[in-house]
Amino acid sequence: MHTWFAVPETNWKSAFLLVPALIFTASSASARRIEKHFKVDARPIVTIHSPSGTVTVKAWTKSEVLVIAEVPSGEVDLGTAQDGNHVDIGTRLLSNNISPSDLRADYQVNVPENAELQIHNDAGGVNVANVLGDMSIETVAAGVDLQDVAGYLTVKTVAGSFSCTRCAGRIEANSISGNFNFVDTHSTHIQAQTSTGNIIFAGEFLPDGQYRLRNYSGVIELRFAPGDSFDLSASSLKGKVNNEARLIPPKHSFRSSPREGEALFGSYNAAGRASVSLTSFDGTINIVKR
Amino acid sequence: MARMACKQFLDQLDSWIDGHRPSDAREHLTACPSCRLIVEDHAAITTMAHRLSEEPADPPAHLWDSIRVQLVLEGVIRQTPPVSIRSPRSFWRGWFALPTPALAVVSIAVLLAASFALRAPVTRRMNDYRWMRGTQNSTSSLGAQLDSVEHATVASLAANPVVTAALHKNLAIVDNYISLCEKSVRENPQSEMARDFLYDAYQQKAGLLAQMNEQGE
Repeated sequence: MHTWFAVPETNWKSAFLLVPALIFTASSASARRIEKHFKVDARPIVTIHSPSGTVTVKAWTKSEVLVIAEVPSGEVDLGTAQDGNHVDIGTRLLSNNISPSDLRADYQVNVPENAELQIHNDAGGVNVANVLGDMSIETVAAGVDLQDVAGYLTVKTVAGSFSCTRCAGRIEANSISGNFNFVDTHSTHIQAQTSTGNIIFAGEFLPDGQYRLRNYSGVIELRFAPGDSFDLSASSLKGKVNNEARLIPPKHSFRSSPREGEALFGSYNAAGRASVSLTSFDGTINIVKR
Repeated sequence: MARMACKQFLDQLDSWIDGHRPSDAREHLTACPSCRLIVEDHAAITTMAHRLSEEPADPPAHLWDSIRVQLVLEGVIRQTPPVSIRSPRSFWRGWFALPTPALAVVSIAVLLAASFALRAPVTRRMNDYRWMRGTQNSTSSLGAQLDSVEHATVASLAANPVVTAALHKNLAIVDNYISLCEKSVRENPQSEMARDFLYDAYQQKAGLLAQMNEQGE
């Protein structure tokens, strides 16, 4: 009896190790890697549509668009089309009733530096680096991470967060519950609005630049350096405004509308002023030293 | 004939005050306590203004003193015995020594100031009412349209549970945002910021529903 139980016990242990290995092997076998190349001219337009997965776009020096898609399930496929200088990339559904987990496809796309991007990704993530053309990105739950990009950038998410590091050009961001983070941006125009998310701005204040940050609740944090120069207007209708900047009050205090809630107006340093407007409904506004 | 709405009545308020009072406006006023309040407030202002012009009461001493000092500085009247030792009554007598145009200008200024000061709370109530009605008029139809779109859109949403959950959660956030902004506008109808945030919230809801609609297609 003792021997009888001993042998099966050893087999169970082996089985426990074997089953995950088999599952891993099976899933690896069904995952496909698809690679496609498209020759393009200067300033191509690249459109990417993905219901789920990670979209990573990087600039390179070649005059071509490279798409590498990792497609784990057999229910979807890579769909591509080229019309002149316009390349369309997307996840193609092969049947009607696909489980959400099978919708996933991860894309790695290389584009010329001056490419224009239009990306729509519902869930997962969008990462773009070193692309200098205009871009428009829309997501539902996917976060957006832009690094070293320029041009006219419009980002719209429902719940996804948005991070913009060393971005230049004009930036417009809109979300409902996503957080925004602007780090070392070199932009003359930033307009960011989120309902319940936080907004952190730790970028440069360029001469004549306009920075409009607005939320409903949450925190708006403006980080400034001693050499920065800006005219500031900060108001929270039902929340708080905390300020570490030594502001010079405006010479002419006339304003078209009365001050409401907690409000702060003034100039920080004088030369080459940027215009900064921070508005919140019942969130907290922090103006802090870097 | 259809009954007159408050907006129509308020649009005709000026002609009502001028004496033009058609029967439908009179009917509306009988049935509507809010508009009646506005008309009563206006009548109170008018009565007060008449009383002020007919029976000028002695104004506070400091007011006359400051007006007089200003007139002396501007050279309109000559310096007479020091203002500080004159009683209000004695200055009141000296008032009629002022040149006639200056007297007229200053009296009008005083009347306007007094009338403005008395009117302020009532005007504020009228303005509150107007802003409230204006905001309600512009948002109620918008809200109804968005609600009907919402019903159709939510029913046709795609099956990705992560996306659907995010959309539903954020729709609830925007709806909550709208109701809090509406509350804020009701509390302070003249608050431009509150109204801005309310319109923003509706705009966000419209944008979100458009996005949800795309998901359902």
